[in-house]
Amino acid sequence: MDAPANGQTPPLIHVAIVEDDLGFRRALSEAIESTPDIRLAGAAGTRAEGLQLLQGAPTDVLLVDLGLPDGSGIDVIKAAVELWPSCSVVVSTNFGDETHVIRSIEAGASGYLLKDSSPAKIVDEIRSVASGGSPISPIIARQVLARFRQIGAGGASRSVKPEDPPQLLSAREKEVLELITKGFTANEIARLMSLSPFTVRSFVRRIYSKLNVTSKAEAIYEARNQGILDG
Amino acid sequence: MRPGIRGFWTADSVNEARAVSERAPPAPLKSVPAAAALIFSVALLAALGALLSLAASGIERSAECLHLTQGSWQELPSDGFSAAPAALDKLGLSSDWHAASLPLTMPRRIEAPASSAYFTTWVRLKVDDAQPVTASRALYGVRLKTDGPIAIYIDGKLAYRAQQRGQQWNSLFTPLWLTLEPGVSDAPVHEILIALQHTATYPVAVSSLWLGPADALRGRYQVRQWLQSGLPAMLNAAFLAVGIFALFVWFKRRADATYLWFFGLAATAFAGHLHFYVDLPIARDWFGWVVINSLCWGLIALHFFLRLLHGRPLRWLTRAVAAITLLIGLATMPLPWTLPNSAPVLAMIYAVELLMALTICLVGGVATWRSSREGRLVVVALAICELLGMSDWMLHNNVVGPEGWFLGAYTNGVTFIFFGLLMYRRYVRAIEEVERVNASLAERLQQREAELEQSHQRLREIEQRQLLSDERQRLMQDMHDGLGSTLISAIRSVEQGRMGDAQVSQLLKDCMDDLKLAIDSMEPVEADLLLLLATLRFRLEPRMESAKVTLVWDVRELPALDWLDPSAALNILRIVQESVANTLRHTRATVIRVATAVEGDGVQVVIEDNGQGFDVAAALVRSSGRGLQNQRRRAQVIRGRVEWVSGESGTRFMLWLPLRQGSPASA
Repeated sequence: MDAPANGQTPPLIHVAIVEDDLGFRRALSEAIESTPDIRLAGAAGTRAEGLQLLQGAPTDVLLVDLGLPDGSGIDVIKAAVELWPSCSVVVSTNFGDETHVIRSIEAGASGYLLKDSSPAKIVDEIRSVASGGSPISPIIARQVLARFRQIGAGGASRSVKPEDPPQLLSAREKEVLELITKGFTANEIARLMSLSPFTVRSFVRRIYSKLNVTSKAEAIYEARNQGILDG
Repeated sequence: MRPGIRGFWTADSVNEARAVSERAPPAPLKSVPAAAALIFSVALLAALGALLSLAASGIERSAECLHLTQGSWQELPSDGFSAAPAALDKLGLSSDWHAASLPLTMPRRIEAPASSAYFTTWVRLKVDDAQPVTASRALYGVRLKTDGPIAIYIDGKLAYRAQQRGQQWNSLFTPLWLTLEPGVSDAPVHEILIALQHTATYPVAVSSLWLGPADALRGRYQVRQWLQSGLPAMLNAAFLAVGIFALFVWFKRRADATYLWFFGLAATAFAGHLHFYVDLPIARDWFGWVVINSLCWGLIALHFFLRLLHGRPLRWLTRAVAAITLLIGLATMPLPWTLPNSAPVLAMIYAVELLMALTICLVGGVATWRSSREGRLVVVALAICELLGMSDWMLHNNVVGPEGWFLGAYTNGVTFIFFGLLMYRRYVRAIEEVERVNASLAERLQQREAELEQSHQRLREIEQRQLLSDERQRLMQDMHDGLGSTLISAIRSVEQGRMGDAQVSQLLKDCMDDLKLAIDSMEPVEADLLLLLATLRFRLEPRMESAKVTLVWDVRELPALDWLDPSAALNILRIVQESVANTLRHTRATVIRVATAVEGDGVQVVIEDNGQGFDVAAALVRSSGRGLQNQRRRAQVIRGRVEWVSGESGTRFMLWLPLRQGSPASA
């Protein structure tokens, strides 16, 4: 693959994909073929190949399918967060259903992409994610709210170290999520809250990363608890 | 519960429990504080005993004291008890002294001689040894036994008087203690004369005496006093306290009469032993009657107590004991026509009572020995008391010398110890029983919990299966009606070559939308209709965009719809989707407005467009109007209703849903 070429305007977005469905890979290639600013920089068909891919040069956006023939894409997402910290990981899904998306976000994904999206939509999403925005659906917003409510309620009793306080939502972040559950689009919310549409999408990105941090802390807490119980 | 409890009391489980308690050795003191507390307490008591015995000592100075064991006596008749004169009137005394060694036991008369009913026995002690006279001196003796006044003359001068009103109840248990203070009597003692007035038949006795420094003798005196009177008094009170405790136990447990009999025993024993500690004169009065008879009453209580333990009626013995008690009670009443309480009569009555106790003890022992461990304990206690009582009787009647101990005072101590043992056994066993019952209860509870958990598990599984089956049916129905039929018609069209690629693609997209709706209907919307509509909007957004239709999202907060399950959610999604699809397909609208509102006892979803409109009535009867009929049918399933208002300026579709599924839709 070509080495990323710098100094161009607009800056090139390098995309890699881990996907066993050749049809979607082709659809992606076709979608970005005609764009001047997006390049496909790598592709893998299995979990093992995906992890191998992560040993190479990082890209700006990584598309990951969860149902890989040799394992879960969640492992690839987690590895990508570690190895390519500057990369925005996007999970590609058929339905954007809550279970898959929330699991991916907790693993560190910044967004998701519906596989049956139109080429224009695919390109839009890649650009949006690369520039720091994240997509969200009403159901996912509701689930995220519920997760943070749990953390808020349980946070006091759990012995979290003072230098590691539980990540809670700010009032504005909460407002954004609540408007999303009521069916308002990013643009409408931006109008309602006097923000730019991009700011709304970057709010969502921030919320996702809080969820990722919190679930990591929880995993450590659970593991420690387990250790105490076992020991 | 009940069968378990009954099972718990079966012989097997009791035996098992015994086996368990026997197998388990007494737990060693595990904690340091407990061991420390034990050592401290025992050490404290031991130290106290040592200190007190040191304080009461003086025995080691016996060498400084004179033990007077030789004397002489004579007995003179008198006219009755009289106060001893201050100065000794030697004229009355004859020179006919009989030499004797102390302790001195006078030969007793069975009957009073005709000459006189009263006598005075004189005892003379000569002291020739040198005596230190600088410190306080004392004359100490175990007891002077007479039923009349006592006087002691030292070198002819009256030094001591006692029993001025006759013998007192506690006289025999109070040692003689007479002090000679320096300054008052500095001279060495040469002669001690003791005058003991008594009735003719009373068995008079005099113990040997000690003369010496008061400090050297005080130990003997105090030990004697304490052991003969102080300690038995404490035990007596303790026994009564235990008896009262038993009474209160009986108040709570009326069925177990042993506690009541035990209280009776304690009360009579207390009454019977009170005379050891009161300095009332012994007279033919009701107190004396109580003293004599309480022994019988106590024996009756003991007999009934034993009967309860061994469970045999022993009617003849009960009757005999009751008869004798009644007889003695009547005969000893302080009334003119009853028996006098002269020494021989008392000796006889006490002998009868001792025989009665012996009989109860033997019969009770035989009856109870095999059947009741508690009964065995009681019989052993009774036997010991019997022996103590016999020793008292012998002491009273001069069968043994006057320096012996009245051990009868300790019968209460013995009964207290044995009954304490009994209570201790019961108490410890009760605690063990409670612990075992608790343990078995906890075990049973655990079992029940496990069973409950299991049956819950089964129920949950059944419920789960039912739920899955319902859900499968619903999905199948939906696949059959929606996705299935669309795909079939698509396949048919493609096969017959009637469709272009674009049409096939559109058809498949519709299928995909159907599938997405089915999946969305299963997302947890938590009774939130707005969230459901939001999800639908999110799905339809791309199609609206591509159709260049502007969506005006004009929704209000809605109350929760508790009945909103996946099946109802799918119906709502299909109704609204159909409505939007109709608008997009047929009306050439450019704006669609979606609004929600609370309407009566329900909620309303309104979808308006600015398209060309259609003839609702005609569309409903046309076969191609199946979409509208489906909407109506689905609305009925969830007890809602749909309405269309269509005109040239657009169409207004309205879905009404009830707040509660219990209330029928108001048509």
